[in-house]
Amino acid sequence: MKKDLSRAEFLRRMALLSGGVGIGISGIPGQAYAQLPAGLAASVPSGNVVVIIQLSGGNDGLNTVIPAENDTYFSKRPDIAIKKADALALKNGMYLHPSMTAIKSLYDQGNVAIVQNVGYANPNRSHFRATDIWNTGSDANVVWEEGWAARYLAEKYPSYPIAMPSQPMAIQLGSVESLLFQSDVGRFGTVFEDPNLFYQLVSGTLTDDEIPPATLAGDELAFLKQISSTSLQYSTIIRDKALKGLNSLTYPNTNLARQLGIVAKLITGGLETPVYLCTIGGFDTHANQLNQHANLWKQISDAVSAFQKDLKTQNKADKVTLLTFSEFGRRVNQNGTTGTDHGTAAPMFVIGNTVRGGLVGENPNLIDVDSNGDIKAKFDYRQVYSTVLSDHLGLSAVSTTAIFKKSFDSLPLFINSPLIEEAGVKMILMDPAPNPASGQVRIQFAVFVSMRVELALFDMQGQKLGLIFEGDLANGTYTYPVDIAHMPSGTYLFSLAASTGQRITKRLIIAN
Amino acid sequence: MPAWNAKNIAHLLSRSLFGYSKNDFSAAQGYASFADLLDQAILKDSPLPAAPNTWVTTVPAASQTSSGETGTWYREFNYWWFDQMHKESLNMREKMVLFLHNHFANERDKVVYPQNMYAQNALFRKYAFGNFKQLVKEISIDPSMLIYLDGNNSRGSVPNENYGRELLELFTMGIGNYTETDVKQAAKVLSGWQVSGLTATFVASRWYTEASVTVLGKTAKFDVNSLIDHIFTQKATAEFICRKLYKEFVYYKPNEAFVLQMAAVLRSNNYEIKPLLKFLFTSDEFYTAAYIGSKIKNPTELMVGASKLLELPSPDYINMYEMSKVLQMQLFQPPDVAGWPGQREWISSTTYSYRGGFSDSLITGKRYNGVAVTGKLFALSYAQSFTNSEKAVEFVDDVCLLFLAFPATIKKKAFLLETLLAGTIVKNYSTYSPGANVNLQQFFKAVMRLPEFQLC
Repeated sequence: MKKDLSRAEFLRRMALLSGGVGIGISGIPGQAYAQLPAGLAASVPSGNVVVIIQLSGGNDGLNTVIPAENDTYFSKRPDIAIKKADALALKNGMYLHPSMTAIKSLYDQGNVAIVQNVGYANPNRSHFRATDIWNTGSDANVVWEEGWAARYLAEKYPSYPIAMPSQPMAIQLGSVESLLFQSDVGRFGTVFEDPNLFYQLVSGTLTDDEIPPATLAGDELAFLKQISSTSLQYSTIIRDKALKGLNSLTYPNTNLARQLGIVAKLITGGLETPVYLCTIGGFDTHANQLNQHANLWKQISDAVSAFQKDLKTQNKADKVTLLTFSEFGRRVNQNGTTGTDHGTAAPMFVIGNTVRGGLVGENPNLIDVDSNGDIKAKFDYRQVYSTVLSDHLGLSAVSTTAIFKKSFDSLPLFINSPLIEEAGVKMILMDPAPNPASGQVRIQFAVFVSMRVELALFDMQGQKLGLIFEGDLANGTYTYPVDIAHMPSGTYLFSLAASTGQRITKRLIIAN
Repeated sequence: MPAWNAKNIAHLLSRSLFGYSKNDFSAAQGYASFADLLDQAILKDSPLPAAPNTWVTTVPAASQTSSGETGTWYREFNYWWFDQMHKESLNMREKMVLFLHNHFANERDKVVYPQNMYAQNALFRKYAFGNFKQLVKEISIDPSMLIYLDGNNSRGSVPNENYGRELLELFTMGIGNYTETDVKQAAKVLSGWQVSGLTATFVASRWYTEASVTVLGKTAKFDVNSLIDHIFTQKATAEFICRKLYKEFVYYKPNEAFVLQMAAVLRSNNYEIKPLLKFLFTSDEFYTAAYIGSKIKNPTELMVGASKLLELPSPDYINMYEMSKVLQMQLFQPPDVAGWPGQREWISSTTYSYRGGFSDSLITGKRYNGVAVTGKLFALSYAQSFTNSEKAVEFVDDVCLLFLAFPATIKKKAFLLETLLAGTIVKNYSTYSPGANVNLQQFFKAVMRLPEFQLC
C-alpha cells in the first residue's frame, strides 16, 4: 500500500525534485529532475544495435503524423492538408500519412513509438546548422564538432584510435561520412555502399606505419592514413559477415530498402557493430510537395517494414531499434507554391520489438506557435537519444550525461527501462500537456512494472485537491485527461505516487 | 613578397589550376615574377569557349526528358566542361567557374534542363574574374536558380522563403548576420518572377504590394537590385565570400585576420574578383610553408589534375563522369544548396578506395568494375620524357617532386624505388630493358596510391 506523506515531507521532496523540472530558461522541459545512479545498467543484453535513419531536407512532420481532426490544420494548409478519410487513424485524433500502411501495421503490433513535437530551444532553420545540431547533440547556441554517436563510441571503444577494435565501431551506408561519427580523435564510421564492392576497392590500398609530421599538412596526411587503415582493417570482416548473413525476404527496390537489407545481413551474419546510419534525402519540400512526400514515406514505410519482418524471422528483432530524425519539421502554414518552408519541431519514430508502442506526448499545438508560425517543441531531441542510449544500449546515466554535457528526462520508449528500474523509481511522469493549460489538461505517465499508483493534483501548499486515478496498473503508458475548467488560475502540482513509496511531481500552470 | 622559386610556383599552380604537367611547370617558371605569371597567364582573360552543342539554345521541353535527350545532353555538357578544364593550361578561369558552381550550388535533379544549367554555367564563366556583386544580381534572376530555389512562381502575398534564406545564408552574408524576419522580407522582394523556357520574366502583379519592407535595418521599396546593393553594404558580405575563397584556395580553416584584409581589398575594388585573387596569390599568407600540401584534392582536381600530370592527350571523359559520381562530385549535382563541403568531407572509407581505383584506371585502362578506359597512359614513353628517365634514383626523386605536394619520406621513396626496380639493381635499371613498361605501370600506380597524392 502507498505510504502517506506528511505535508512537510511532501514539500521537502518537491523542493528537491522540482530543481530541474518545470519550464526551464529555454521553455522546453526535459532536463532531468533527479540524479540517476551511475554504472552500466546490467540488464540490457549485450550486442544491441541502433539503426538511425536520417531524413535529410526537413521532414514535414504535420503531414507525416497528421492532426486530421484539427480545423486549424486544414485552414492553414488548404491545398496540402491530408483528409481524415484518407489517413490512417492512430488515436487521440492523430493519423499517419496514407502511404504509411506498413508502418501503421507495425504500430498496430505495438512496435512503433512516435514522440511528438520533438525539437530544441531556439531552433535553427538552416539545413546545415540544424543538421549539425541534431548530429552533435548540442544546444542551438553552441557549436560542437563531434557527433553524439562518436562520443558514445569513444566511451565504448576507449583505446581507439591507438588500437583498432576487431569489428567496425559504426557503419554508414553511403559515401560521405556523417558528422554523427566524427570526433576529435578520428572517425568512428566505416562508410560503404556495398560490402563486396567495398572489399574489392580496398584491396589495392597501400599502408605503412610512418607517423606524419605534426604540421598542418601532416595532420591531413594522418587523417588520410587513418581512413585507409580503417578500410583495410574492416573491409574483410564486413564482406565475410555479409556473406554469412541472410535476408529472409526480398526487400523493395529502393535505395533505403537496399541499405536496410545490407544492415540486416550484417546483423544476422554476426557483425557486432552497435550503430548504423542510413540516409534518405528529398524532404526539402518547398514546392508541390504532396506526391514527393507521399513517395518518400512509402519508401521508408515499406523498407522499415521489410527490415522488421526480416529481423523477426531471423530472431534478431529484440536486438535492434530503429530511430528516425530530420533536421527540422516544416511550417504550419503552407507557402504559395503548394509546399512548406523550414519549420521546427516534428515527430520522431522509434521502432523495434522491444519498443513501447504508441504516441508519446501531446498533439501538435497549431495555435500556440512561435513568432515564425512554427510548432513549439515539447520534447528535447536529446531526451530521445539519451533514452535510446540508456534503455537500449545500456549506457549509464553518468555517461549519457557526459555525452550531452547535461542530463535529460527519460521517455517511455521501451517496454523495459533498466535505468529507470535501477533508479528504483520504475515510472515516468511526463510534463502536463498543454502547460499552461485551460479547460482540460492531459497527464501521461508510464510504469515499468505492475504497481499500484496514485495520480493526484495538489496546490503549492501540498494540499491534495483531487484524486485523478488510484489503482493497480500493468507495465504500460497511461494517459488521463483532467477537467480543470472549474479551477482558479495559478500554479499547481501533479504528483504520481507509487506503492513503493516513490513519487514524481510536475508543475502545472492553469490559466483559465 | 613571396620568393619566386620552384616550391612557391608549384604551390600556386596546384591551387589555382586543376593540376599541372612538367611542361606547364616549366612554362610557369619562364615568367619573371608572380605578378607576371598572374597577369599574363593565370588571371588572364581569354575568349569564351564555343557552346557544347546547339541544344543549349533549344527551348526546354518535357519531351526531351522522356526521349533521353536530357540525360545525353548533360553528359555532353559534362564532357565539354571536363575538356575546358583539361585544356586550361595555366589559366584559372575554369577553376573559378567550378568555385562559383559550388558557391551557387544548383542540382540538375531539380533544375532538370541542361539548357538552364548551361546558361548558368556560362554566367559563371562570364564573371569568373568579374564583379561579384553584379553576378549575385544576375544569379538571383537566373532561370536555373529560380527553379532550384523556388523563386519561380513565388508570389509577394505568400512568398516562398527558399531563395531569400539561401541568398543571405549561403550566397552573401552567412548565418548569424541576419534574422528570420530579414529572410521573410527578402523573400517578398525576390518574388514576382516566373520562368518560361530559357527566360525569366518579372510579373509586377505577382510582386509584394506593401509600400516598403525592412531588410537588414533599412526600409525601402526594395527590388532585386537595390536589395542586393543593400546586402553588399553589410560588412559581413565581403568577409563571407573572401572566407570561402580562402578556404578553397589557401587552407580550410581560415585565418580571420587575413580574411579581413581580403575583404578590404574586395570592397576597395568594388567587388571585382580579379584584383582580389591577385592580392591573394601575391601575399605572403598564401605561400606560408605550413599550407603547402595541406589541401585534400577534390575529385575534379584529382581526375583532371592526374590527366594533366600524366600528359594524357585525350583522357576518357566518360570514365571521369562515372567516377565523379562515385567520388561524390558529380558536376551539376552537388549534395545540396550548400555545395560540396570539401577537404576531409571528400574522404570516407569508400571514396578513399575509389580514388585509388581511379588513378589505377588511367594506367591499366580498366575501371574498378572492369569497364574499359580509353586514352590510358603509355607508361614507358611517359617515363622516357623525364630527363632522368634512365637514372632510377633521380627519376623517383623527380616523379615524387612533381606528383606529390607533400614530400615523400626516405622510406617511401625506397619503397617506390623497389617497386620500380622490381628485383633488378639501380646500376642495371633501364627503361629499355624487357618488362620495364610493366614495372613503370606498377610504379606510377604506387605513387598515385600514396595518401600523399591526395594532397595538393
